[in-house]
Amino acid sequence: MIPQLVTVGRCRPDARRRRLYVPVLPVLLVLSPLLLLAVPVGLVACLVTRVSPVGAVRGTGQLLCALPGTRIEIEQGRTAWLISVR
Amino acid sequence: MNEQRRKILDLLANGKITADEAERLIGALERERSESPQTAAPRPKPRPKYLRVVVNAADGPGADGASRVDVQIPLQLPRAGVRLASLVPPQALARINAGLSRSGVPIDLAELKPQHIEEFIEQLDDVTVDVDDPDGQVRVFCE
Repeated sequence: MIPQLVTVGRCRPDARRRRLYVPVLPVLLVLSPLLLLAVPVGLVACLVTRVSPVGAVRGTGQLLCALPGTRIEIEQGRTAWLISVR
Repeated sequence: MNEQRRKILDLLANGKITADEAERLIGALERERSESPQTAAPRPKPRPKYLRVVVNAADGPGADGASRVDVQIPLQLPRAGVRLASLVPPQALARINAGLSRSGVPIDLAELKPQHIEEFIEQLDDVTVDVDDPDGQVRVFCE
């Protein structure tokens, strides 16, 4: 399953909290024209670097599917960042 | 099916006890079995799903507060990463290996295969690394 929601949170020194929720699938749909343009570019890159395009697509897919559950929290004093992939 | 349970079912089949009584007796048997762990088969340990790295650093001089880093990554991620890395062309791998050697890390990435990372992750399940220092603490573990 590809990631559904990416959360980026930030806590500033003045204690203001901001959270950005990125729904992956709708964003991908919006960006799909750009992704269509990126496909031939990726294909050419694979051919130039002699990488199997099928293997590259499979590997990228596996990497994307493995991402849900990733959570990174960094706190420094009163500043904090959170990146969460669900 | 064990002998006692079979006897209860025989009694039920012969009409010597009612279904309710049979249920109570089987329930009592199961409770007894769960209370005696030496007879019960050991439960398999749940497989860890995540690799966690937690770093806590105390407030140093000149710093604006204590630092904390908490990273949780699914164990599937390194597996997928190694599979993707296996697509790297040999000439690029040679350059990376040369760079690693120059940096004092003589690792041949061409020898890194998905099955190796599988074995590594299998063994990683039981690994816990604790580094305690007056100024901080580092914990690496799987959960």
